[in-house]
Amino acid sequence: MAQATTGQAPGVRVDGLTVVYKTPAGELPAVRDVSLTLEPGSITGIVGESGSGKSTLALSLLNAVQPPGRISAGSVEIDGLGDVVGFEGERLRKARGAHIGYVFQAAQNSLNPLKTVGKQLLDLGRSHGVEDRRGLLREAQELLGRMGLDGARVLDSYQHELSGGMRQRVGIMLALVLNAQVVVLDEPTTALDMITQANILKIVREVHAERGLTTLVITHDIGVVAEVADRLAVMYGGRLVEQGPTRQVLGDPRHPYTKGLIKAIPRLVGDIDQARALPGRPPTLATVPKAGCVFRERCALRMDICDTDDPAAVAHGPRIVACHAVKVKEHA
Amino acid sequence: MITGNGIVKTFKQRGNMLGAREVRALRGVDFSIPKGGAASFIGESGCGKTTLGRIIAGLETYDDGEIVIDGVPMSSLTLKRRQPHFRKIQMIHQDPYSALNPTRTVHQTLRAPLALRAKQTGRSKAWMDERAAEVLSLVGLDPATVLARYPHQLSGGMRQRVVIARALTVDPEMLVADEAVSMIDVSLRLGILALLKDLRERLGVSVLFITHDVATARYIGDDGDLYVIYRGQVVERGPVDTVIADPVHPYTQSLLSAIPVLHGLELPGEQPVVPLEALNAGQDDVGCLFAPRCPFRGERCDTERPLLQLTEGVPQEHACFHPERRSVIARPMSEV
Repeated sequence: MAQATTGQAPGVRVDGLTVVYKTPAGELPAVRDVSLTLEPGSITGIVGESGSGKSTLALSLLNAVQPPGRISAGSVEIDGLGDVVGFEGERLRKARGAHIGYVFQAAQNSLNPLKTVGKQLLDLGRSHGVEDRRGLLREAQELLGRMGLDGARVLDSYQHELSGGMRQRVGIMLALVLNAQVVVLDEPTTALDMITQANILKIVREVHAERGLTTLVITHDIGVVAEVADRLAVMYGGRLVEQGPTRQVLGDPRHPYTKGLIKAIPRLVGDIDQARALPGRPPTLATVPKAGCVFRERCALRMDICDTDDPAAVAHGPRIVACHAVKVKEHA
Repeated sequence: MITGNGIVKTFKQRGNMLGAREVRALRGVDFSIPKGGAASFIGESGCGKTTLGRIIAGLETYDDGEIVIDGVPMSSLTLKRRQPHFRKIQMIHQDPYSALNPTRTVHQTLRAPLALRAKQTGRSKAWMDERAAEVLSLVGLDPATVLARYPHQLSGGMRQRVVIARALTVDPEMLVADEAVSMIDVSLRLGILALLKDLRERLGVSVLFITHDVATARYIGDDGDLYVIYRGQVVERGPVDTVIADPVHPYTQSLLSAIPVLHGLELPGEQPVVPLEALNAGQDDVGCLFAPRCPFRGERCDTERPLLQLTEGVPQEHACFHPERRSVIARPMSEV
């Protein structure tokens, strides 16, 4: 079995991943030719707007894209596990939860309202063949206690008895309790208010470090990524347009979309009019251009080549940028 | 000019064998929003900011206190007589997906309030169409392309613009925007915020902005007042930039400390304040409402409730026995 990796966080390599959805207009790509490496023990943040393909990409890590969607090309290699794109049936089910934990978007609504948290935990244990049920409960209580909750009380509670922040922590507990080493958090703080968000992000950072995890955070909020992630990847129209160390990307964004996105955030101090809206609007599955750069409609640096050729993701040191204009500048 | 004095609202939950439970949503709130001006309510979910916004828009009753719209106290009028006054105050809801009727085109959506308006002022049908096109242009939409469309054919940002256009059909004096951009895509948010700002300047409508995002509140109304609300009480109130730069109430400081730092562009604040416990671990009847979570609480805080007031040496109103300025927000690296 894949026990060899215990104690050391596994790395994840997504290579050339394309996910298509079947629509009346044919199969359209929600994620197109995306390559991304999650270094062992790192926190990577993916930022994107609705329809950018970020959640589809995250689901691909579990090979959990549901029809009418399917992974049409590429691989998702996880250390100690292999290429999960090829997994199916029982083998896939076991990998989920035991190797890869997933905290779903709006964990508020992902719990069963008819069962206590403890019952749901035991269901999870049973479906993964856990024999030591007391051990499982103990582990869950410890995790909840670690996150500042009264473990015994929470396990005895129904979801309506818990606040949004508490449910989010229950979601994190369920993702980690089977000792998953790769954890995906999809919009972990959406719909939570500021103070609760700050608490959850602190917990994510601490639990990540203590358990030696490889973590992926999906969000539309650059602030969330800025708080927790070592590396930042920016998605737009199904493409990864820029990646790099978080501080470098925020301090010196290269791709015009990243630049525009950062400029569009109102700030707490300084000149209000520095914030500038990005013109146009993000593409949907149906309006993503078939050829050429996905961002060109809103881009100030648009050139002729952008209409015909999709820019390749080019590495500049630790930074990766997919933009014709940026490439020209580097070479000039 | 819209003012409120001592607004109180208590929700009574249905009783069980232990008796009915009361939730005190608002505990005597004063506010005042000048014509063409701006104000922002901030606070955690459940603090009462949305309830207050709904009361101001006439969508909710209040148990005590008085709302005065352009000099007319609302309690002196019957419910029916209040309507034309409250119509001057229009609400923009958080979710543009549920705020529009999916079976009506944009034209139909705008025509309902316009018909009412036309009847009141004796105007013609042609005026209605003209006005519909006009309000759509005001919110930055092209009437020719959107009038015939249904909500599902529009993006979230466009829908929110239609909602704003609908509010403008009745020539409101004030827009109450409750988390109006939190469900809009990040790259489109600023466009909606800029629109609200622009409407303030061009039409002279005042904007009441309800949010937990302080930076967006500042963007719309940096010339107005910021009200920090905690468990139904305003705990700090003052000009937006004063409260952001020099907050004195520990709760305001906690809220501002919780705003993510854009590492790489910003450095963390120097004196961040972290509240001790989660919300609702609190005393209700005596003492400061924030005391159970306050890292700086003193003895007096447990026995006496501080009221919103001005004290010596502090430019903004606050409800704290130990007001002390702390620098909590992130600083841009370019200024350090």
